[in-house]
Amino acid sequence: MYAVEIKGLSFSYLGSSKPSITVDELYIEEGESVLVVGKSGSGKSTLVNCINGVIPHMISGELRGEVVVMGNKVKETPMSKLSTVVGTVLQDPESQVVNYLVEEEVAFGPENLGLPPEEVKERVSEALRIAGIEHLAKRETTNLSGGELQRTVLASVLAMRPKVLILDEPTSNIDPEGTNSVFATLRELKGKKTMIVVEHKVERVLPFVDRVILIDKGRIALDLRKEEIIEGVETLVEAGVEVPSYFVLSRKLKLPRPDFEAVKKGIKEGKIALETPKRKEIADPPIMSASIKVTAKDRELVDASIEVKRGELVALMGRNGAGKTTLLKAIAGLTGDELKVTGSIVFEGEELIRRPIWYRGKYFIYLPQSFDLILVTTKVEDEIAFSLKKRGVKGFKQVVERYLREFGLEEYRKQDPMLLSMGQRRRVAMASVLASGVKVLFMDEPTSGQDFYNRMTLGKELRELTDKGYSIVVVTHDSRFAYEFADRIVVMSEGKVVANGKPEDVFKVSHKYGVEPPSDFLLRW
Amino acid sequence: MKVNFVFQQPNLPPLVELAISWFIFLFGATGPIVIILAFVGIRGFLHITRFESGEGILYKLSPLTKLIIVISTTVAVSLTIWWFGAILTLVFWSLFFTLNEAKRKVLYVSYLLLSSILGVSTGFAFYTPYSVLQMAFNTNTLNVIWVWPSYFSFAGYEPYLTLQALYYGFQITFRFTAPMLAGLLLILTTTPSDLMRYLAKVKFPLPFIFALTVAMRTVPRIFDTLDTVVKLQLMRGLGYGKPSFLRPFYVLIAGLYGLVPTLIFLMKGAKYTAIAADTRAFNSTPRRTYMKEVKYTKADYVAWGLIVVLFVTVALLLAFGYGRGIPYVGY
Repeated sequence: MYAVEIKGLSFSYLGSSKPSITVDELYIEEGESVLVVGKSGSGKSTLVNCINGVIPHMISGELRGEVVVMGNKVKETPMSKLSTVVGTVLQDPESQVVNYLVEEEVAFGPENLGLPPEEVKERVSEALRIAGIEHLAKRETTNLSGGELQRTVLASVLAMRPKVLILDEPTSNIDPEGTNSVFATLRELKGKKTMIVVEHKVERVLPFVDRVILIDKGRIALDLRKEEIIEGVETLVEAGVEVPSYFVLSRKLKLPRPDFEAVKKGIKEGKIALETPKRKEIADPPIMSASIKVTAKDRELVDASIEVKRGELVALMGRNGAGKTTLLKAIAGLTGDELKVTGSIVFEGEELIRRPIWYRGKYFIYLPQSFDLILVTTKVEDEIAFSLKKRGVKGFKQVVERYLREFGLEEYRKQDPMLLSMGQRRRVAMASVLASGVKVLFMDEPTSGQDFYNRMTLGKELRELTDKGYSIVVVTHDSRFAYEFADRIVVMSEGKVVANGKPEDVFKVSHKYGVEPPSDFLLRW
Repeated sequence: MKVNFVFQQPNLPPLVELAISWFIFLFGATGPIVIILAFVGIRGFLHITRFESGEGILYKLSPLTKLIIVISTTVAVSLTIWWFGAILTLVFWSLFFTLNEAKRKVLYVSYLLLSSILGVSTGFAFYTPYSVLQMAFNTNTLNVIWVWPSYFSFAGYEPYLTLQALYYGFQITFRFTAPMLAGLLLILTTTPSDLMRYLAKVKFPLPFIFALTVAMRTVPRIFDTLDTVVKLQLMRGLGYGKPSFLRPFYVLIAGLYGLVPTLIFLMKGAKYTAIAADTRAFNSTPRRTYMKEVKYTKADYVAWGLIVVLFVTVALLLAFGYGRGIPYVGY
């Protein structure tokens, strides 16, 4: 029996004339591990939602064809039954957790099934053990790191003892160490469960999957055994999927499979020429330098200094909880009154530490990971004009026109920003904050949860901005992004700056602080 | 019945009178909110709406007992004279001292109390018909302390603000404050999972329990997100160059701007919460079981005893003529 059988599947969301996913045939063996890749919006999540029953039981639309999971026809099987067969771990762990203690969260599913308390306890300890979080059983879910929280979600799904496990971008919101811990659990489960993993991190997931499926424009564009992946490298790259450089280079060297060492040797021997990312060497003094201490009650959260030069792109990296966001929020004046901020923030010679938030906003601005939160008007042009009007800038209409043009937003000027695509919304957010005349932009994890295409587009957009003279500080866990685009990397650990310099220098030591160097760098090292 | 008005309003130039009337008109609507924003702030709400573990007596009570206390308080204050509500408000206010990080919570809740008193008092005083005041205070003589511009009646204002109306509004406040503080104590000292377990034990419908549980988890997130949105708008220049005493008003405006993005952000999260619950068999069986036993401690028995004492007191007050008046003042 197949774990998953799909025949003639097609699903269109309500109001959409075109199917979001079309699959003629797909079979997944019991115990098989499958990696599903594709650009955002390609139909990956729609496919897995058709397998776990979210479609059609929770999301309506036009569904055709048949999906059978472990012998259960999804359309006819209630969610309660399906939930014992298919477990699903989603992207954002915070919105999946509803209980206060870890063990209560893990017990949530078995309790819903009405199992006797003894069996619930047994399942909870089993799931905690498999997920490697027995030590967290009594911890509060509100105080866990991203990785711990996602493993709690994983444990709560495992407690249902599903035969099929779906993981829909399970690591996109957590740091590399958290990602490692989640992947370690998946490695444990390989062969024991049928796993369908939707991930952008191909290189990381590949070691424990048997097969790779590429979804492109709502269809299966590639379905390969792991060993054959090199044959599909070009197709994957064309479809906007992140493929490590050494995969592509292995193909160029006509190697039978991706081979990191062989490629490295090839580079050393001059068989392949690699372009090194261009970085700016700015001799000018910094336009902003901050030396900040942030304390909560009797605990010191941050004691760090950071400086930014005009036109520089700085990547701020480190583990979750290292103090990156707190540092930037403290500089921007966004921390709550439960935190005490002291020190100095000097922007072009002016001390700003005692200045209120709206004053600091003249010089630098903070864009959160959920950048939609900044969009408050119903037209793109109004959004860009917002700051200019509030700050009483004369002739603001010309400025708005300029920013609409520079950010490629002219044709959307009358549209509601919230109805635009994610990339367009991001451009609106950036244009609206920069239009007011700020010189330094702080971006908090703009690469989290983004596919390769979007990350590369973002990187190029940021590069263009720095070329125009803006300075940008980006908090990111994405080493490849930082290597590709940053002029400088600052690594934080336990509230302190522990490494600061060119990516080539920082990546030599960054692993000590939870920042893994990208394979692109290791190839050249 | 005819009303005798005794005019005691201060003698001021008409323009000053007009300015004050408009100030009060605006203050009545936004004043309490401005007080909250100025002294508590959006993050302050975070501290008085989310559970934090502690060792005080309230943490030892079962959620069910605390819920019964909230309901009993609501019943008691709606049946009895206003000062009994005031006493209960004082009792619950003082219980905030037993909480974890008490100093900060007492401060925030005191501001919340002050703004509630101002908000509810003015909310009732300006609109209560004279006939109700006549009944409530058993008098036909009302002391006028302010005369509104005649066109204020289009906004529902009575032509005159009377001393009795203010007194009436003040008394009504305590029908709200006591249950409000009891409810906050419940939220601050109860985990969502505990509440779920205990309510299920008394056969409360599961979907309602889940909604309540998710709400308890979501409310602090609402304030957290709204706080970020507000600060982002201020950072973008809202209120730039304006005097600092106007800051709370701009926080209020930023909050209004931020409502839609906050809601959209939370709705996205709610979708995942629903999927996460349903893919873990939520509401699949009518008989949900619980890993942990529901236990009642000595503290619960003491609390139940106190609830009985509360109702006996209510009965005695009613018997001695200290029940609610018409419609809400005891005489």
